[in-house]
Amino acid sequence: MAAAVEYIQKDSPVHRLNAATKIFWALFTLACGLLFNDYRYLLGLLASVLLVAAAGRVLKNLLPAITGLSVFALILLLIQALFYDQGQVIFHLIPQTSYLPVTNYGILSGVAMAARMLSLVLSFLVLLATTRIQDMVLTMVEKFKMPYDYAFMFMTTLRFIPTFLGEVRQITDAQKARGHAVEGFNPFKKIRSYAPVTVPLVLISLNKAENMAMAMETRGYGGGRRTYFKEPKMRGADYLLTAVLLLLLVLGVTARVKGLGVM
Amino acid sequence: MTAARQPLIKVENLTYQYNGAQPVLKNISLEIGRGECLAVIGQNGSGKTTLVKHFNGLLKPSSGRVYINGRDTGPQKVSTLARTVGYVFQNPDHQIFHDTVGKEVAFGLKNLRLPAEEIERRVNEALEAVGLTGHYATYPFNLSKGQRQRVALASVLAMHTEVIVLDEPTTGQDYRESVQIMEMVKNLHEKGHTIVFITHDMSLVARYAARTVVLCEGEILADAPVRAVFAQPELLARSYLKPPQITLLAQELGKRAIPPDVISVREMYDLLQKARADKIGCCG
Amino acid sequence: MAILEIKNFTFRYPQAARPALKDISLSVAKGEFVGITGPTGAGKTTLACCLNGIIPHFQGGEATGRIELDGLSIFNKSTAQISRLVGSVFQDPEAQIISSEVEQELAFGLENLGFAPVEMEKRISEVLELAGIPDLRHRSTIGLSGGQKQRVAIACALAMRPEILLLDEPTSELDPVGTEEVFQVLSRLNHEHGITVLVVEQKTEQLAAHAGRILVLDDGALVMDGEPWQVFARQRELQAIGVKIPQVTKLAGMLGGSDKYSLPLTVEQARIYIERLVRS
Repeated sequence: MAAAVEYIQKDSPVHRLNAATKIFWALFTLACGLLFNDYRYLLGLLASVLLVAAAGRVLKNLLPAITGLSVFALILLLIQALFYDQGQVIFHLIPQTSYLPVTNYGILSGVAMAARMLSLVLSFLVLLATTRIQDMVLTMVEKFKMPYDYAFMFMTTLRFIPTFLGEVRQITDAQKARGHAVEGFNPFKKIRSYAPVTVPLVLISLNKAENMAMAMETRGYGGGRRTYFKEPKMRGADYLLTAVLLLLLVLGVTARVKGLGVM
Repeated sequence: MTAARQPLIKVENLTYQYNGAQPVLKNISLEIGRGECLAVIGQNGSGKTTLVKHFNGLLKPSSGRVYINGRDTGPQKVSTLARTVGYVFQNPDHQIFHDTVGKEVAFGLKNLRLPAEEIERRVNEALEAVGLTGHYATYPFNLSKGQRQRVALASVLAMHTEVIVLDEPTTGQDYRESVQIMEMVKNLHEKGHTIVFITHDMSLVARYAARTVVLCEGEILADAPVRAVFAQPELLARSYLKPPQITLLAQELGKRAIPPDVISVREMYDLLQKARADKIGCCG
Repeated sequence: MAILEIKNFTFRYPQAARPALKDISLSVAKGEFVGITGPTGAGKTTLACCLNGIIPHFQGGEATGRIELDGLSIFNKSTAQISRLVGSVFQDPEAQIISSEVEQELAFGLENLGFAPVEMEKRISEVLELAGIPDLRHRSTIGLSGGQKQRVAIACALAMRPEILLLDEPTSELDPVGTEEVFQVLSRLNHEHGITVLVVEQKTEQLAAHAGRILVLDDGALVMDGEPWQVFARQRELQAIGVKIPQVTKLAGMLGGSDKYSLPLTVEQARIYIERLVRS
């Protein structure tokens, strides 16, 4: 999963869009996913997300994530199908008995749940895969008026996730090699047994943070007015797309108010 | 009966790959006997660390087998293998988490569930072996990095393992600290421990190892006595390595009076003195 | 003309019993390649931190004496001002790379100083060439090797067009390939572009081959300062301090070498010297 949260460098129409447009699209998907619960609408939404992923040429890169999520979606579907007892019974999970009936509505609402979950998560993965972190940060600073320091913190956190995962692995290995094992079910023992990993991790992280602060200091960070090397511009396609999405959102809300797209 | 004969570490057709990516190790076979001192060398990314992490079960083969004392590591836990194979990591700060040196060294022993007196005895003995007697109650982070590396060494040493693996034990240390650490390793070897160490410093390989394994892109490029390996600069170059300066000099000087496998300054000095005395031109 | 002038400089960390640097005096001319070496705790890193403004701006302490860059005391300057004069490269390749893309990393310092995008573009292309890494421009910083990361860090420092390039043990976490990459770049920058290089380094073989001058620090004091052969001629003292002597230079010393011509610093020089020695 860690690999899926990365920016994937490609030249595609989706990559070329402004970060703000893509953030808006992800929020739009989120809104639609929450507005409707009809499986047909939600499957449509999922298809649109997959289409955007394909246009962004990241479908293949997201495949491991999609596979992982699908397993999760299947479980969701199963749970939903099992605990939903409205509607017509199609079959029983244990054949020849009347235990665990599965109804047609159960299956459909399960499909809806799974499609919703997949659409929402995937849209954010597509956003992250097609948008450079610094562009996202810049959008937050410029468009949403977030202070640069906070946006910078967010950016550096993302940048250092792989580093820290690497440190955790090294520390865990070092303690395991001395016979340490996180075992058993006693929660108190379990918490105590994490100290050999957390203590070195905190100390190393503090050290890294200090080194990073020094490096930033010697490169003039916090020295005064900042400029930006690449300020992403909103182009025609961005305005057009934003307008279309806005229109669709209005239509969607109207439809929902009229009772469409709800089972 | 055969137990005494079998190699301490036996690697059989080991291939390792992570999540279906390109294999890091490709079909490696290797035997390490009791009491050997072996250096594993190679460029970063050649698979050195991946290989030695199989010795204590931190990694398990994707295919092939690794045997320690004749037993397959596959089903064994790291905590079990830790009784036989000690592992000193490159950065001591990845392991130190106690507030005193003594407790840090005792950690592994507590994991082995030894009685308190035994732990006490072994901790003192290990601290003495690394020259840190009197630092029992010291806060580890008040020590220098070189001293912390010795704490890490002591904490492994105290576990009385047959094998001690050291992954770049001298990286980031100054010359004196490096020599100190390696002298301790030499001492352990003389006391009967089997030593496997990874390093980028070829002069340390020349000085402390008897045999060296050269890894390159996950394959064994050479596995031979140190002299024999250093005498083949073309082979080392394939793994982006260079023999020590003094060996390079010997090879530059031509083949007549100076053999290409000189590995110490002292040896070179003696050869040159002899060459001068004999009035034999070494370079024709 | 001296670009850096240090006069009777003494520095003590807060709460430290003894000074970390004791009465250091030296001057560095434009275009020099100076190696600084010595055992752990000798004060090498402290000296580097005094030159790039980390001390006193980031870490406190008590200083006497003077450090002048380009004739002006650096203690009155902000770190942002110093960053235009001294470009710093640190030990840990991981911790000094802040962005996830090389190009953005190079822009970071320039953005902080408020340069116009056109100027940034010009400088980024220029320093990528200088550091020999134009092909890395659009790469993610995460997948780079140690040697590549350090060359990115060097390019970042150069982007500020500093008077001095200052590196604190830039190769200590690198393998031989990475170490060689870094020193090749430093050598080229110094020889072809006249950039003043100050490098703190334990690997004396590299210093002997590339530096024009070596400083040895021991216990906070500057104990040796000279051309590499002058420093490596004092073999007994170096051994006592704990500085490694390059093998070929050590051999020459044992054979009685004592001057510029009898103390080779590289394998090639040693070959010529020994061939002559044995023939005579």
